[in-house]
Amino acid sequence: MTTPERLRLTSGTVYDPANGVDGVVRDVCIEAGRIVAELPVGAPRLDVRGMVVMPGGVDIHAHVAGSSVTHARRLLAEEHAADPVPAPRLADGPSPRAGSGGTVPSTFATGYRYAGLGYTTVMEAAVAPLAARQAHAELDDTPLIDSGFYVLLGNDDYLLRQIAARETARARDYAGWLLGVTRAYAIKIVNPGGVAVWKGGGADGSRNVSGLDEAVGSSAVTPRKILETLAGAAQALALPHPVHIHCNNLGQPGNAATTLESMRALAGRRAHFTHLQFHSYGGERGKPWKSGANDVIEYVNGHPEVSVDVGQVMFGPATTVTADGPVEHLLYASSGRKWVNVDIELETGCGIVPYSYREKAAVAALQWAVGLELFLLAKDPWRVVLSTDHPNGGTFLQYPELIRLLMDRAYRDERLKAVNQKLLTGSALLDGLAREYTLGEIAIVTRAGPARLLGLPQKGHLGPGADADVTVYAPDADRAKMFAAPRYVIKGGTLVVEEGQLRRAPAGARLAVRPDYDPAVKSDVKRFFDDYASVAFENYGAEP
Amino acid sequence: MSAATRTVEHVTCLGCGCACDDITVVVQRGRLTEAQRACALGAAWFGDGQVPDAVRIRGRAGTLERALAEATALLADAKRPLVYLAGDISCEVQRDAVAIADRLKGAIDSLASTAAPGVLAAQRRGRAGATLGELRQRAVLVVFWGVDPGARYPRYCARYAVDAVGLAAPGGRTSRRVIAVDVGEARGPADADGRVAIPPDAEVDALGAMRASVQGRAVGTDAPLEPAIALVHEMTTARYVALVADAEPGATPADPDRAEALTALAQALNGPTRCALSMLRGGGNRSGADAVLTWQTGFPFAVDFGRGYPTYRPHAGAAERLAGGEVDAALVIGAPATLPGSVARGLAAVATVAIGPRASAADWKPVVAVDTGVAGIHEGGTAFRMDDVPLPLRPALDGEDVRSAAATVRALRERLEAGA
Repeated sequence: MTTPERLRLTSGTVYDPANGVDGVVRDVCIEAGRIVAELPVGAPRLDVRGMVVMPGGVDIHAHVAGSSVTHARRLLAEEHAADPVPAPRLADGPSPRAGSGGTVPSTFATGYRYAGLGYTTVMEAAVAPLAARQAHAELDDTPLIDSGFYVLLGNDDYLLRQIAARETARARDYAGWLLGVTRAYAIKIVNPGGVAVWKGGGADGSRNVSGLDEAVGSSAVTPRKILETLAGAAQALALPHPVHIHCNNLGQPGNAATTLESMRALAGRRAHFTHLQFHSYGGERGKPWKSGANDVIEYVNGHPEVSVDVGQVMFGPATTVTADGPVEHLLYASSGRKWVNVDIELETGCGIVPYSYREKAAVAALQWAVGLELFLLAKDPWRVVLSTDHPNGGTFLQYPELIRLLMDRAYRDERLKAVNQKLLTGSALLDGLAREYTLGEIAIVTRAGPARLLGLPQKGHLGPGADADVTVYAPDADRAKMFAAPRYVIKGGTLVVEEGQLRRAPAGARLAVRPDYDPAVKSDVKRFFDDYASVAFENYGAEP
Repeated sequence: MSAATRTVEHVTCLGCGCACDDITVVVQRGRLTEAQRACALGAAWFGDGQVPDAVRIRGRAGTLERALAEATALLADAKRPLVYLAGDISCEVQRDAVAIADRLKGAIDSLASTAAPGVLAAQRRGRAGATLGELRQRAVLVVFWGVDPGARYPRYCARYAVDAVGLAAPGGRTSRRVIAVDVGEARGPADADGRVAIPPDAEVDALGAMRASVQGRAVGTDAPLEPAIALVHEMTTARYVALVADAEPGATPADPDRAEALTALAQALNGPTRCALSMLRGGGNRSGADAVLTWQTGFPFAVDFGRGYPTYRPHAGAAERLAGGEVDAALVIGAPATLPGSVARGLAAVATVAIGPRASAADWKPVVAVDTGVAGIHEGGTAFRMDDVPLPLRPALDGEDVRSAAATVRALRERLEAGA
């Protein structure tokens, strides 16, 4: 069928947690790209009786576009060759494009595959401001998903100078200017201060920061100060999504203490802590790792101002890609794999190491278990989002498998038996976690929750006025199978997946903020650019 | 057309991969009369902004409409078409060009195949790199490996790695030590603070020995390698090292393993200290072609859509395909003057469509030639610096009645897509 202007999805079993609908048989009405309360009697109908209807999926944290992602793509010729993506046969609209897959697919393939999973909104989680123009171009070449990105702050020299000079207001205005000029959606902090230290170099062995109160150049600048300044800026600028934080000490044994300290540093203020799994390890440096999930999630449970996404590790190939340069250097040194490092002037870094998580590897198994513990011990699903930090912990194509692990205890226990349990002693997962996620809870952690945390009132629900992003699944006891292949996907009112086949690939919209700030900051930033930058202030950013 | 003089500031020059974006262009009576701050290479690249405006079909003047119709027929009928991304086009045009290759199930290649060893080394090993501005901030030891940027990258030293002041180099040149490694005739800058000479046939061995030395492994005492190994101590004790080499082909072919050996050395230096390898690339937005091809297909050059999806044939780029008779029609997008000789020679034997600056002057006699403006002079968009930093183009002669490459290529794409 062609996509009608109006469409009534009839008699589906609807999961719309934002509107308190938990598995109720009802119609969903669409008109002109939006959900509406009613349609005239003669409107076209699509019978979805017996099927599960949810809002389109919302990915709050993935790496899908921009300079670092394309650096990763360059590394993965073998993966791309092994996973070709022929152009889909589309019914109408923009011409189909061929591409390649693997852990970091080409742009068009990324859009097709997300839509094929029923995801219709994706946030790219880390873009260097210097390369914002590239990120927009790549998102323009990624069809089917509405998208935006988080711009990297917190290791940038201009900001660190403002913190050193206690110029909090100017730091806020700078953040406001940067968000606007790069057309970004939110502020991302990666290893606050640590990347700046990594780039500072030196034969003195200093390659990173390890604690919240370590000096970053000036003694007035510490990871704690960076977190406080940017959390304050996001609040003062009234951004729809709070600061999105990748804590210090990613991947280190004992880093749960750093994570908890970071959360306490911002107590009472809205903050989103991303890929929490990579930051929830107990033990200490130089000693065996263990799970620190319980302590971390207990804090999250008790603090409604905190939200997280899990960053689950899934077994199989992955590609680690992050602005956290020093972490990737460690992974390179320990794994001996390919390694990309790019120090990005005055701003941030970029590190990439292709990787593989093996069930029989003790640390990978621990990481897998820690992620599941975070999910299963979380009390409020509205603040705990499903993610794999694609492609770091695994790819977005592994979300259905992850959903099965959350919904099906028997399956989970069976998988647990197959993993290396050396480091799992004393972990909650090994002791037995009975919880099984319901479909309603899955709808929260994959769409309603992230949409709410992103401050996107038109996403993640099926109430009147919402964007008509709808996914229809055929129920299957094997939840991985069910979530891997939705029967229908509607994006902005367009029927993009029909009978499980991708049929249309319209362009997505760009999500960006343009906060108000005192424009006086621009002349000060321009002076800094004139002194140090290698690009003209006037050529910076991504304004059309 | 206004008689008044006007100036356009912050113009990005694509004369080489430095992509200096501080050029002020002066325009008088529709002619470009000055490119302030541009080097000689840049001044030549800007020229006076005058480009031919011909549309030629089999050597005769024709309309754009006819040219597009002929081009569509020629390409749509081809069994083994080739799309080639030449220089002086924006990323926006490159994106449409890849779509055309995809549609035609053809092959697509770019100027990157002339610098393939560097690309392949980066794919095998990765990279230890930095944007040029970060070298400016951090590098206190700059090692020019067989290259003096003065000739082909004239403002590299002034703007980036050497003379400009940076956070860790407050005195600019005086804060840094510059070493020239002379590899045979490929010599480093004349004003270097130190020099090391390496015989060309010992270059890759020297890089390997240096890496071994950085990693603390025993290194034999091979006389030709000694000066290189002696350099290691200086590198490992500097706070941040920039290692600079030319990725573009030189007068004599480089050892194919050289790029990988340079990458491996730069990576190893990140144990004891910090190091970034800066591989110099030429102009015309060639780095943009690598990026666009990579994000759209997963491969940086030498891509073949023949099976209905992209496959990578890095050792069968445009020159090899043309020489092997694997091409029956070609679409060249960009300035023919930027083509490598091997590709230009091969094009003479097949039916071609050329769209780009001075296409009508191509000496391989295209069946259809459509002259357009030059990206960055007559039309806007995005171009990449050699370090993959994207920059906006500010055309000084925008709206001066020069045919747009972007609009022409888009029109061709739409015709090809409509003919499903």
